[in-house]
Amino acid sequence: MSSVYNHSILELNQVRFMYSRNKDLIDNLTFSIGNGEFIGLLGANGSGKSTILKLSSGILEPSNGYVKLWGKLLQSYNNKDRAKLLCYLPQVFDINVPFKVRELVSMGLYPYDIPPEIGVDDALEIVGLTEKSESYITNLSGGERRRTFIAMTLLQGAGILLLDEPLANLDIKYRIELLRLLRELQKKKNISIIMALHDINVALQFEKVMLIKDGKILGFGNPKMVLTEGMLQEAFGVTFEIKKSDDGSMYISYENMIPSVPPVNPKNAFG
Amino acid sequence: MPKIKISLLITISIIIFLISIFWGLRVINPFYLNDIDREILLSIRLPRVIVAMLMGMALGASGAILQGILRNPLSDPYILGISSGASLSAALGLLFGFYSFGRFSIPLTAFIGASLVSVMVGAFGWKRAGLWPERLLLAGIGLSFLFHAILMLLISISTNEKLRIALLWMYGDLSMIDWSLIPYGLVLITTGLFISIFRAKALNALILGDEFAHSLGFSVHRERLFFFISIALMTSASVSLGGMVGFIGLLIPHIMRFFIGADSRILIPASAIGGGTLLCLADFIGKIIMSPMEIPSGIIAAIIGSPYFLYLLRRRDVLSL
Repeated sequence: MSSVYNHSILELNQVRFMYSRNKDLIDNLTFSIGNGEFIGLLGANGSGKSTILKLSSGILEPSNGYVKLWGKLLQSYNNKDRAKLLCYLPQVFDINVPFKVRELVSMGLYPYDIPPEIGVDDALEIVGLTEKSESYITNLSGGERRRTFIAMTLLQGAGILLLDEPLANLDIKYRIELLRLLRELQKKKNISIIMALHDINVALQFEKVMLIKDGKILGFGNPKMVLTEGMLQEAFGVTFEIKKSDDGSMYISYENMIPSVPPVNPKNAFG
Repeated sequence: MPKIKISLLITISIIIFLISIFWGLRVINPFYLNDIDREILLSIRLPRVIVAMLMGMALGASGAILQGILRNPLSDPYILGISSGASLSAALGLLFGFYSFGRFSIPLTAFIGASLVSVMVGAFGWKRAGLWPERLLLAGIGLSFLFHAILMLLISISTNEKLRIALLWMYGDLSMIDWSLIPYGLVLITTGLFISIFRAKALNALILGDEFAHSLGFSVHRERLFFFISIALMTSASVSLGGMVGFIGLLIPHIMRFFIGADSRILIPASAIGGGTLLCLADFIGKIIMSPMEIPSGIIAAIIGSPYFLYLLRRRDVLSL
């Protein structure tokens, strides 16, 4: 078994995909991730982040190339077995059906005939929704909904999580909590996570990032190496200034990028 | 909690079932049956009540499933065009003198039409190895309009008196029911119900969206096909048993969602029981309230159900609207 850990657990090889004819969105995409890796997938809107996650999870099938999960072709898995190994959490969930939080979270157990050791209550506690377990999902705030789905994902117990913008529309408090939670899971249970992002400052905190433009990988590796001013300029079409804080960590400064709003003269404002 | 509510639902359903067979213009004492009572009970009331129950069950359950797979709260089983196909087919059968099966003729032609239309809607909804909700919905609406237009054309140019009989029948006339059709209806409707209840987890996942369903280990297209077959079986059977009854397929699933929750494993059987009970009650009221004139059960069902539905809508805690 030990040799398995040296191998990639999820591998995309020369993957090609197009939504409509004559327009390649993803072409010749090759990368692999190892066990327990926490990867930020960074790119501008429409760069193909979601498509890469959907290809990796088997929701979309490549027209060329292949995706392998634990060394076996992704399509060769039966659905339930695949769901126990790999879980994809979409970015948007518009739900108008009044499921209760507990009902929704427990759907994470659907791939299992015999439930795994972690229970619905544990999952709810981890995401801090114990008190809302009987609430209707339709009455929750955006952040609470997202945490409900994260709890469902935890319950599903897959070793690979593909998360599409899980931090979007979350308050800063929950962003930090969610990142902390995912990091803990990664450390404790050796879970591998690929997370689509668009905040460069968050990406700078990752051990590994993949920078995407037009469905191609611009860079993959340590953020300090990948997220250079030149690369970011190419990926986003904006010139950033990367600064170093006193403790040596890097951050993007938005100073001087956005013209400051001139103070309103009260006399003018009220005519 | 759900157990209490389900027991309550089943109790209400049994009470209404018993009232409708023993009460009416002639009140029958179940412990004192004379020959006339027995005849009324077995030949008239029982088959009628059973058909109302079966139709209501089929409509309630298929409404709950359809709203789930189309992810659209406004769907009702008739939106797929199955019923208008059945009407048109029954009318054509009458016009071209298809009487070879006696009193089976109308239900049989209706069933053939309903099945053909189900296949057509399925074919239009099929693309890239799967059924797509939007395509199904639009194909159903398109075909519905087409069949309705042809039916209206036939009515406006034909002088055939039989056409009117077919039309009356299509709009939910349960007064001519006898035992002969019940076995077929029972088999088709219970088959449809079993398919869907057996796969209810997949419906829950599909309600969240295709991507969730895939991630949770379901084959999205295969599951949707199973549900479509289940709806087609139940709706076709229901239309050919006693024509069209509005309201139930659309609103019973919503009422049951308020009452019992959204989990399809409970919602599908609950909508079946609720639909059956409401149609049975509506038919009973329609029969006695202005007798000897009968009011179509669809009208009564809407008159009883809508205010309750509107009342529930006021309790906004369960709706995000």
